[in-house]
Amino acid sequence: MSTATAERPAALAGGRARPPRATRAARHRAVMLLFIAPALLVYVLMVIAPSIQSIQLSLTDWDGINPAYEYVGLANYQDILTSDRFWNATRNTLVLGLGSAVVINAIALGTALMLDKLHHAQGFFRTIVYLPALVSGFIAATIWKYMLNFNFGAVNTVLRDLGFEGAAMDWLGDNDIVVGVLLFIVCFTLGGNTTLIYLANLQSVPQDLVEAAEIDGASRGQVFRYVTWPMLAGAVTVNMTLMMIAGWTIFDQVMVLTAGGPGFVSETMAFFIYKVGFGEYRAGYGSAAAIVLFIVVMATTVLANRYMRSREVQA
Amino acid sequence: MSTAERRRERRRTTPGEVVVMAVLSVLVLAVSFPVLYALLNSFRSYAEITKDPMGLPTGLSPDNYVRLFQTTDYGEALLNTLIITGGTLVLLLAVVPMAAWGIERLGGRSARWIYLLFIAGLMIPFQVRMIPLVSSMNQIGLYSTLTSVILVHLGGAASFGILLYCSFIKGVPREVEEAAEVDGAGRLRTFWSIVFPMLLPVTSAFVIIQALSLWNDFFIPLVFLDASSAGTINVALSRMVGLLTSQWELIYTGAILAIVPSVVLFAAFQRYFIKGMSIGAVKG
Repeated sequence: MSTATAERPAALAGGRARPPRATRAARHRAVMLLFIAPALLVYVLMVIAPSIQSIQLSLTDWDGINPAYEYVGLANYQDILTSDRFWNATRNTLVLGLGSAVVINAIALGTALMLDKLHHAQGFFRTIVYLPALVSGFIAATIWKYMLNFNFGAVNTVLRDLGFEGAAMDWLGDNDIVVGVLLFIVCFTLGGNTTLIYLANLQSVPQDLVEAAEIDGASRGQVFRYVTWPMLAGAVTVNMTLMMIAGWTIFDQVMVLTAGGPGFVSETMAFFIYKVGFGEYRAGYGSAAAIVLFIVVMATTVLANRYMRSREVQA
Repeated sequence: MSTAERRRERRRTTPGEVVVMAVLSVLVLAVSFPVLYALLNSFRSYAEITKDPMGLPTGLSPDNYVRLFQTTDYGEALLNTLIITGGTLVLLLAVVPMAAWGIERLGGRSARWIYLLFIAGLMIPFQVRMIPLVSSMNQIGLYSTLTSVILVHLGGAASFGILLYCSFIKGVPREVEEAAEVDGAGRLRTFWSIVFPMLLPVTSAFVIIQALSLWNDFFIPLVFLDASSAGTINVALSRMVGLLTSQWELIYTGAILAIVPSVVLFAAFQRYFIKGMSIGAVKG
């Protein structure tokens, strides 16, 4: 090849007995590909292949056990999109996912603003604010399950002791409030990582800008609205995107606290897929629901990214 | 004067700061209430808990902690969780940094495509691959083994690892490794003896983030470990919730013990933690 001939003088100029550069480049490529191979192999076998297989299974009536199954075309998708149970799960996912994204971001921003105000012991307070985030959603939900017990739970006991007998409720067994209770538990946090990201961004807001605004007579609210808030635009988008993607797959709290009940009232999409695929032996149907979930997550990510980029251009 | 210097300037504590400190303390206590409640009740008996749900423990009896290990699978589940977390971390470190290095140093269009393939995994929820994976694991006889959980975790964590390492490696100069190659060190040895130590900042962030999320994971072991295994601590706890309806004190005790390792990890690596979380902001 022409590149090989062109490289040769350079190799000669190097004055060492090395193989021609083209061979070395090819060997370099081969070694680098070998470096990539183990991770790529595991990743393809554990993520890409099963995801593609899911698409295939979503077109079948497979029960998950029997090796024989038949192709049913798009029947599963049709069933899903006309199923009240699925739409209920979608609505719950929206309420819990989007709702918690908004509430937790508000909490985290508030907490970060408070931390940013501290000139003394900021490190200490940052640490203790982060501590609750070490408790997983699963463990927190497990403890809440018992605290919300109708007869012996902490919540109803306190309410009864304070004389609000009527306010003591079957928190997890009441159709009308159960999703609200789940949302409350998911949002019972000081934000953890989200707060840290906001704090880091707040600390990069130039103090000169804030001081200039203050000298010009801006009130605290105006400084926040016109100086701090626009500087946080990127962080808000990143945090909202991350929380929304996590929100689409909310599962642990539902599994622990209600198992989707009463009936199907508090199911989320992730729980629906789990329940249908493994509990009701409708693996084909469950796969179709999983593909719908994937499309939703992908659309959210792509749209959020596009929005983020459009904002970056403005800034 | 730079912003940082101005920030560090010594000032007297203002009344406003005192109010903020008080509010933050109250908020932390409120949000920690469930854990504190579980901690207190891990020292009480079932009779005490149901008789007076808001009562305080009469002493620090380790009774529940002993009984948790004697009467349930918790000990074995704890060991399983350790094996899964440790095994996954070791394997991740064995393949991910090397692959990221390979992608960055391979360059060109093929490297770009491999990178994008890895990153696509960030958008694939576990639910999408779970049903085919369970049936494959069944076929090759790995279902309900710790190996299956580790393998599934590996695939899931690879995307995030590649993203994190690749963005870091972009800033590492090529000269170091080229110099080593002239000296005749094998590429693999060059990588482990020269490159890998340079990646320490990103490795510490990656290990901390992954350790916490592996330890806390519930869904993957729930799906891949059936009753033939003691499960992980979270799986064991969820089974206890179903079976031990009259032993709340053991559930509280198990919940507290599940949190302890995270807190120890945090206490030991606090500095790296906060830094790592901001490096890992991409994952959140």
